[in-house]
Amino acid sequence: MDYLLHILIIAFIYSIFAISLNLELGYTGLYNFGHVAFFGIGAYTSALLSLAGMPVAVSMVCGMAAAGAIGAILAIPALRLSGDYFGIATLVFAEMARLFFLNERWLTKGPMGLPGIPRPAWIGGGVAALPMFLIFCTILTFAAFLIIRRLTTAPFGRALKVVREDEYVAQALGKNVLTLRIKTIAIGSVLAGLAGGLWAHYITYISPGDFTLTETILVLLCVVLGGRGTNWGPILGAFVITFFGESVRFLPIPVDFGRVVAPLQGMVYGAVLILIMLKRPEGLLPEY
Amino acid sequence: MRKLTIILTGICLIASVALSPAMAAEVVVGAVTPLTGKLAVYGQGFQQAMLLALDEVNASGGINGNPMKILFEDNTSTSKGSVSAIQKLITINKFPVIFGPAASSNFLAVCPIAQQNKTILIGAESAAAAISKCGSYVFRVFPSDLLQGKGVAELVQYLGYKKLLLTYVNNDWGVGLAEVFKKQFLEDGGQLLDEFSYDEGKTDYRSEILRIKKASPKAVVNLTYIKEGATMLKQAYETRLDVQWIMGSAAKSPKLIELSGEASEGVIGTYPTFSQDTPQYKAYKAAWEKKYPGKKTPIFGEYNYDMVKLTAKALRKTTSMSVDDIRNALINASKGFIGATGDKTFDANGDVGATYGRWTVKGGSIGDYK
Amino acid sequence: MIYYLQLTLNGIIAGSIYALFAVGLTMVYGVFRFINFAHGELIAWGAYLALLFTQTLFTLPIYHAVIPALALTVVIGLAQERYVYRPLRHGNRITLLIASIGLSYLLRNAIRIIWGSDLMTYGLRPMRGFSFAGLSITPTQVAMMVAAVFFLACLYFILTRTMLGKSLRAVADNMELAAIMGINMKQVSFTVWVLASVFAGVGGILLALDTNLEPIMGLTNLIKAFAAVLLGGAGNVWGALLGGLCIGISENLGVAFVSPGYKDFISFAIIILVLLFRPKGLFGVLRGIR
Repeated sequence: MDYLLHILIIAFIYSIFAISLNLELGYTGLYNFGHVAFFGIGAYTSALLSLAGMPVAVSMVCGMAAAGAIGAILAIPALRLSGDYFGIATLVFAEMARLFFLNERWLTKGPMGLPGIPRPAWIGGGVAALPMFLIFCTILTFAAFLIIRRLTTAPFGRALKVVREDEYVAQALGKNVLTLRIKTIAIGSVLAGLAGGLWAHYITYISPGDFTLTETILVLLCVVLGGRGTNWGPILGAFVITFFGESVRFLPIPVDFGRVVAPLQGMVYGAVLILIMLKRPEGLLPEY
Repeated sequence: MRKLTIILTGICLIASVALSPAMAAEVVVGAVTPLTGKLAVYGQGFQQAMLLALDEVNASGGINGNPMKILFEDNTSTSKGSVSAIQKLITINKFPVIFGPAASSNFLAVCPIAQQNKTILIGAESAAAAISKCGSYVFRVFPSDLLQGKGVAELVQYLGYKKLLLTYVNNDWGVGLAEVFKKQFLEDGGQLLDEFSYDEGKTDYRSEILRIKKASPKAVVNLTYIKEGATMLKQAYETRLDVQWIMGSAAKSPKLIELSGEASEGVIGTYPTFSQDTPQYKAYKAAWEKKYPGKKTPIFGEYNYDMVKLTAKALRKTTSMSVDDIRNALINASKGFIGATGDKTFDANGDVGATYGRWTVKGGSIGDYK
Repeated sequence: MIYYLQLTLNGIIAGSIYALFAVGLTMVYGVFRFINFAHGELIAWGAYLALLFTQTLFTLPIYHAVIPALALTVVIGLAQERYVYRPLRHGNRITLLIASIGLSYLLRNAIRIIWGSDLMTYGLRPMRGFSFAGLSITPTQVAMMVAAVFFLACLYFILTRTMLGKSLRAVADNMELAAIMGINMKQVSFTVWVLASVFAGVGGILLALDTNLEPIMGLTNLIKAFAAVLLGGAGNVWGALLGGLCIGISENLGVAFVSPGYKDFISFAIIILVLLFRPKGLFGVLRGIR
């Protein structure tokens, strides 16, 4: 039972992460392959501040703000790039962020990571805290979902879709493409920072190895599998991927093959990405 | 009346037989082990050694008649995996005792969780000095690097190097060991020509080798693992960097020579020794040969073996299954406990003592350095 | 002073390998107009296939193992095109990109399953380097540079002196017009993938001879290849060559000023700077293979 709570919490955290990427990738057509960097910035900022003594709620908000601010600032030059190049640039940025986390030992303790991150005081640590934490996550995920839904059903959302389909038409219609995109990235980064903060305070330990290309592929898979450009899509994707990932733990694998489990899972993820693109690019919940 | 008594007795006997399998509760201990990932090759050895000890425990009556079991959770050799595994063991299985993960970084990632959840965590391979500060519920049967750092400094003094270069792997183990060594070395009047850390897992250390060359040291203390050490030795050899390499225990392995060939000739290092002449060690070796014929005893296998045996002793002696009682029993059980790796008496921090020997690579194989 | 010269020499050696990687990547871009994220895995598979023939399955000496290894790498490259890229070519851009990311992840994990995640080596004995004027270089490194020059010279010959090469350049310049003029698209497509795979594979083997093999080697070198391609101008083969050398040298020299942990950061920074300030690259023309 407790294990189920654990998986649900992870699924909700990834839901928020996927919702934020979906706003950028699914609605606005921005190939942000470096989204995990903001997840990491949110996680590290919140962790460091709370380890220094600040209340968890405050540090999480700071984490979100830091992620959002860095996202917005970087968006301005980055948006000069088109499609593919934007994708490469964001991918590279994520790696740069990871190297920063890895090398600045004085700040992030480098590869050692930050253990002992506190849970929110009103939840407390230990086993008994799980149901409370789950409720906390559920509320936050719901809030994120509502915010995004509000945004996307409003004219803002429709404008984003126009930008995605054809930015020249958008311009001709009088939309300020650049501002729209910057706003999208800012909001997406803030939400990614929220997911990162939740992750840090739940797992209580983070290290640069938590924010690699693998996580980018996972969240990309959530968005793409679930359904790009829809509101429920990323949540569905996050749940499917999380449950699949954890279910592998229960397969009876003989010890000799133990080392094959993780890369085999990786191959499955890669293959699923390819197959989705080939056969059903809209994902499980199609946009139209 | 008599018939009734006979019937009741019969029912009681049948009931006790029927119910006893349920009451002969297994005593289960959790273990976070690298079964997959980069430490998997060692993890398999740890698991086998633990199972060997488990067999012996159960053959001699288990825990007061109940069989002892170990539930292994894979940590994929990462800190993230270790956290995940220990959370599962604590929240779902609720074991009072857990055998911790191998690498120091992984161990340090989970010890706050164990301490906070009042679960006993025991380590058999983690050397970082920082572990001593983990808390009252954390123990280890493997000596802290606090001692090895001093051992390396002694070796350096013995070899007569007053000036050298210090380099080490950028992680908990390397950083911790380097700090201890540096402190002792400087206190002894030594001088560091340069000092820097490098990332583990790289295939190209030529930039680091060049930096060493720049300082022109006669000796280099390189606190590193097997792969990284081998790559550095090889690339140093190729770029004609000729120095006396001094290493720690983590690089002591035939694989070092396999990977670097003649570049490893002449390396000298320290490692925690235990006499292989004691009856306990011989018994371990014999039992290993019997259960796994033809296989070499794995690295740190003896420590894992001792850990299980010591835990079993504590579980037999404990007054109840509450964590604090087990903890007291563990401390008492360790007093004077001579395992395959020597005396395992826990000190106030839950650490054990050790003596350090010296190894070297000569003629293509590892031997003791005299 | 010797310190900086040695770093520069190391940079040239590394750069010649990066040039091989970049050239393949840029040719694919020039003709098909997309960045193949899975190019890195061709590099890694080239190296690992050579390992297959020297250790895992057979025990051929390394020079003999190269031929079958490259042949199989080409098969992988062609399979990528046939099963993943060709069906997606005319669709949504993002779909193609995501598919190539997925493909790269798939191939990388396949390596992990077959050979494990550990560092592996071809098992050659370490060799003392030559020393001249205080600089050192090993026989293997000399061989690497010679091989790189040889292959690039072959490429020059193919592109400028053969019909096939000229068709390739024509297609890169303007695909529709070239098709109208009667150039065989299938043949050109085949040639590009063969060339790209061979170059990636050769580079991978040479790199592994120098610094051993690990599953992540494809990805890390892909990013350096990107950097070189962007620096030289996407689609510009000679630019990619020069770009490779530049990346190699700046990486190795850069280590003198920043911590070695940030070595990869240098190529990343170059990518970002080029993308922001000179997306056409130093020598770039956005269209065509020159």
